[in-house]
Amino acid sequence: MISIFRKFFRFCGDQRKLFYQSLFLSLLHAIFEAIRIPAIAIVLSAMISKTMSAGTVWATLIIMLISIVGCIFTRASSTMKQTVGGYTVATNKRVEIGERLKYMPMGYFNDNSLGDITSVTTNTAENLQDVATRVIMLTTQGLLTTFVIILVILIYDWRIGILLLIGVAAFLAINSRMQKKSNKLSPKKNKADITLVSAVLEYIQGISVIRAYNMDRQAGQTVDRAIEEHEKINFKMEKSFVPYMCVESAVLKLFAVLMVFLSVAFYLGGTLPLLNCLLLVVASFLVYAQLDSAGNYSALLRTLDISMDQINKIFENPVMDEDGRDICPEESDIAGKDILFHYESKTVIDHVSFDIPEKTTTAIVGPSGSGKTTLCNLMSRFWDVNEGCITLGGSDLREYKLDSLLTNFSMVFQNVYLFRDTIANNIKFGKPDATMEEVEAVARQACCHDFITALPEGYDTVIGESGSTISGGERQRISIARALLKNAPIIILDEATANVDPENEALLQEAIVALTHGKTIIMIAHRLKTVQHADQILVMDQGRIVQRGTHDELLKEGGLYAAFIQMREKSVGWKLGGRPA
Amino acid sequence: MNEKPKGTVGWLWDFSDRHRGGYAASLICAALGVACGMAPYFCVSQIIIALMNQVRDPGFYGAYCLAAAGFWLMRYLFHGISTLLSHRATFSVLSEVRGRLAKKLTRVPMGYLLDTPSGRLKNIMVERVDSMETTLAHIVPEMGGNILVSIATILYLFVLDWRMGLVSLITIPIGLLCYLLMMAGYEKRFTNYVVKNKQLNDTAVEYIGGIEVIKAFHQSASSYEKFTTAAKEAAASAIDWMRSTLPLFSSALSILPAVLVSVLPIGCILYMNGTLSLETFVITIILSLGIMGPLITVMSYSDDLGKVTTIVKEITDVLTVPDLKRPTEEVTIDNYDIQLRNVSFSYHETTVLHDVNFSIPTGSVMALVGPSGSGKSTIAKLIASLWDVGGGGITIGGVDIREIPLAQLNNTIAYVSQDNYLFDDTIRENIRMGNLSATDQEVEEVARRSGCHDFIMQLEHGYETRAGGAGGHLSGGERQRITIARAMLKTAPIVILDEATAYTDPENEAVIQAAVSKLVVGKTLIVIAHRLSTITDSDHIIVMDYGRVSGQGTHDELLATSSLYRNMWTAHNAVRDRKNSEEVTV
Repeated sequence: MISIFRKFFRFCGDQRKLFYQSLFLSLLHAIFEAIRIPAIAIVLSAMISKTMSAGTVWATLIIMLISIVGCIFTRASSTMKQTVGGYTVATNKRVEIGERLKYMPMGYFNDNSLGDITSVTTNTAENLQDVATRVIMLTTQGLLTTFVIILVILIYDWRIGILLLIGVAAFLAINSRMQKKSNKLSPKKNKADITLVSAVLEYIQGISVIRAYNMDRQAGQTVDRAIEEHEKINFKMEKSFVPYMCVESAVLKLFAVLMVFLSVAFYLGGTLPLLNCLLLVVASFLVYAQLDSAGNYSALLRTLDISMDQINKIFENPVMDEDGRDICPEESDIAGKDILFHYESKTVIDHVSFDIPEKTTTAIVGPSGSGKTTLCNLMSRFWDVNEGCITLGGSDLREYKLDSLLTNFSMVFQNVYLFRDTIANNIKFGKPDATMEEVEAVARQACCHDFITALPEGYDTVIGESGSTISGGERQRISIARALLKNAPIIILDEATANVDPENEALLQEAIVALTHGKTIIMIAHRLKTVQHADQILVMDQGRIVQRGTHDELLKEGGLYAAFIQMREKSVGWKLGGRPA
Repeated sequence: MNEKPKGTVGWLWDFSDRHRGGYAASLICAALGVACGMAPYFCVSQIIIALMNQVRDPGFYGAYCLAAAGFWLMRYLFHGISTLLSHRATFSVLSEVRGRLAKKLTRVPMGYLLDTPSGRLKNIMVERVDSMETTLAHIVPEMGGNILVSIATILYLFVLDWRMGLVSLITIPIGLLCYLLMMAGYEKRFTNYVVKNKQLNDTAVEYIGGIEVIKAFHQSASSYEKFTTAAKEAAASAIDWMRSTLPLFSSALSILPAVLVSVLPIGCILYMNGTLSLETFVITIILSLGIMGPLITVMSYSDDLGKVTTIVKEITDVLTVPDLKRPTEEVTIDNYDIQLRNVSFSYHETTVLHDVNFSIPTGSVMALVGPSGSGKSTIAKLIASLWDVGGGGITIGGVDIREIPLAQLNNTIAYVSQDNYLFDDTIRENIRMGNLSATDQEVEEVARRSGCHDFIMQLEHGYETRAGGAGGHLSGGERQRITIARAMLKTAPIVILDEATAYTDPENEAVIQAAVSKLVVGKTLIVIAHRLSTITDSDHIIVMDYGRVSGQGTHDELLATSSLYRNMWTAHNAVRDRKNSEEVTV
């Protein structure tokens, strides 16, 4: 428990103070609550000594009013401090994550990693600012106030005080056993959770196939089994927890009863005055109240621990760009010298060198998994090479500031990501200060203008809202318009993904021609036309460049390239359902 | 089955169907537990009264302490049993709800499944269902138990002395008033918080999801700015909301349990008047220490009750999607002529197809062409029964497809674009799904014909390699060919092929094409064509435009009669990839 407290306060940084203040206020709250006991004592002693008067009435009323007002004030301000603290910590973490993203290597980003980061920034941070903060404060408060109350009782009567301390020790012992049990069981629960998620996902994603092949019954069984297993594990968890929870609370109550018994015994033995005895008996209901509720919440401390770990993990990701400069290269030629790149201990690029002169077209071909995409990613420094170096305009990529390096590149089809914003703003993203004329001009070049003006809201159509259905091909062309506006000297293009919308191929080709005009072009090529007209073709296989040259040269050479061309020719001449050729 | 719309409670009642007994038992145990929890207060009152009356018999005190201890033990025993009972019932209910959702997915129109992101359905089936646990397992018994016992204690006080009973209730109206005042401004501020929070989430999703574009376009600074502003505003709105409700909320929480504020002074007055006995007064004082605890527990659950309404709605939104209704009795289909009569179809209130009529004779090849959004894919989906037609009808061999059981229809039609999903099972079993009675030899034979055999044999475990989810070192093209093998094994007489999704892997296009050619031999074939050059030899081509048939005939006929087709052909030729682009002059 203590280690989580320490971790939490370290995690909070400067906001720690707010939490300390909140804790102090909650201590005051406990004191305001506890002054009810003297109020009761006044009444009881007045009854014993038969001295009850209007004064007693007023005294109890005033004490109770002070108690209420004090409680209201301390509770409100303690909760407020805690809320401000929790939300501020979560916001700061969000901002830090946002900042971190700016310096992470682009290659690190994929659907999975981005999904995780999004989920941490939204869900985990939400849990942190609200539930997790409340849980940790409740448990800390519980422990703290209990100790303070026991301290006061120690002064009153050390014997009872020590008894109460033993009670706390017993409670903590059981609680820590429960935590251990939870740590032991939770991997099992996690596993059942994961199994359920993957079974459900497989079922949902495969349901159209399941139905198409009439496999409802068989496929249903897997998911049913996962559901059943999940139920069993969950119940087993609960079954092992409930006894601890109950014993933990019962132990506190038993110690409270023991406190009553001993107080009475001490009174009967003559070592405790009657009034003190009565006070202790009444107090027996309150001493452990806070600790008890802290115990109920302590099981949730784990979620806080997990939340903090998830957030900290993001900060373990590598960053680049720490010592880059703003460089404006005079020429946009790219060269690689003996580069080597591993990804997850696998060599993906194996001692590759290349030379791409300015304003030439380089086509990269090769079987899937040969390293084409990785090579392109290295050129725009999505990753850093492990050995060798890549230069742009004569300077090593690593000398550039990431921002200033990326100004030189437009990557088409890598990521047709459009923002939930108007079409105009999406295009303007390439150059925020562009005028509407400029936007329309590039939209025309990218063959977007016609379909955009056909939309009821035209350029003000908000992408992604219902009613504005924009096809995949149209999205691609918007992204090309955006790239046109950016007007980067180097274009990296993957034709494979450019193929997704064959109907708009003509328009798309036109847009690409506009974009690539007069630029240095590097493309992962599939079209015969592209390779035929390329100034240079790099043929890749298993992470190496195995052939290079122009189309005609390579055709003569034979080998992988000739085979590639043959396959392409066969596939473009293909016809369906015709008479046998 | 004509079900009336049900509310949250109605649905929860429905979900708990077989477990109401368990919940009732849990509720009874919870009430017994809370009642046992009140008894020690009574015991301690007796001890205090005895102390004040100068009783000096240790046995008396020992007995009451023992009784108090015994009651506490019983309290937690009952509490434990109640918790276990309610959890057993709840986990079963959650499983049943999941089972119902899974079953439901086999009955909804397939189109619904294609439209709904799988992540969303998964989220509902797993996380959302999970989050009902607290409400069902804790709130039902604990709330019930706490309310019952509070009422019982108050009644007991009234029986002891009705005046003290009344006095002990004074804080309730004041506390509730604070609570109500808080709720008055709650809605507006809460809405503001929700809006700001949604803004934060949207901005986060955009900033993180779009980070590559943001960086590529050198916009980190401004997008980051937007994101941090949203984060700060969301926090500020939450803090504002808290700040405005906290004073009243704290007042409610502090006043409600402070019953002593009235019990002590008024009790004193009544005691001085001689109308209140010492015993009753002490019992009232001690019981009022414990009386409001249960009520506050109840109050703390009100948030969860609001949440569960949202969750139940999400779940039941899925459960109430209309089923695709199909008979179960097989029908006799004599031939595989497909005919569409006056077919119309609307999707999200937009009419996508108007009065479509055409027929496809058994064994012929028919191509559907047209600009995107012209409705050609919709026609294929209607034939495959992914949706039901809005008007008119589709017949296969003269039988309306709505009269054909889904299983039979699925055996009749292979829809290739649809099944590119491989299950987390061996490659062999993935292929065998096409026909469960196929032998290993038949599976391998079909794999050979679809061009899979060679690459499968190169895998370490051959046909026993697991193909599913992440377990794929298989490329897109390889997966595609396995699904084609599966479709071939099914030997359905009708094949529907969507070119757009069929060739997603240009590197293996030639191999996939070869596999497709073998799949369609001798079948009635419907192609949704995008590259006109592949379908020029079709028996029949239908040109779709704005949801209507704008022309039909063979390639040559259409070149002569349809201007739309002619334009498409010209455009296609202009960008068509071929060996020597210089050859072509159109």
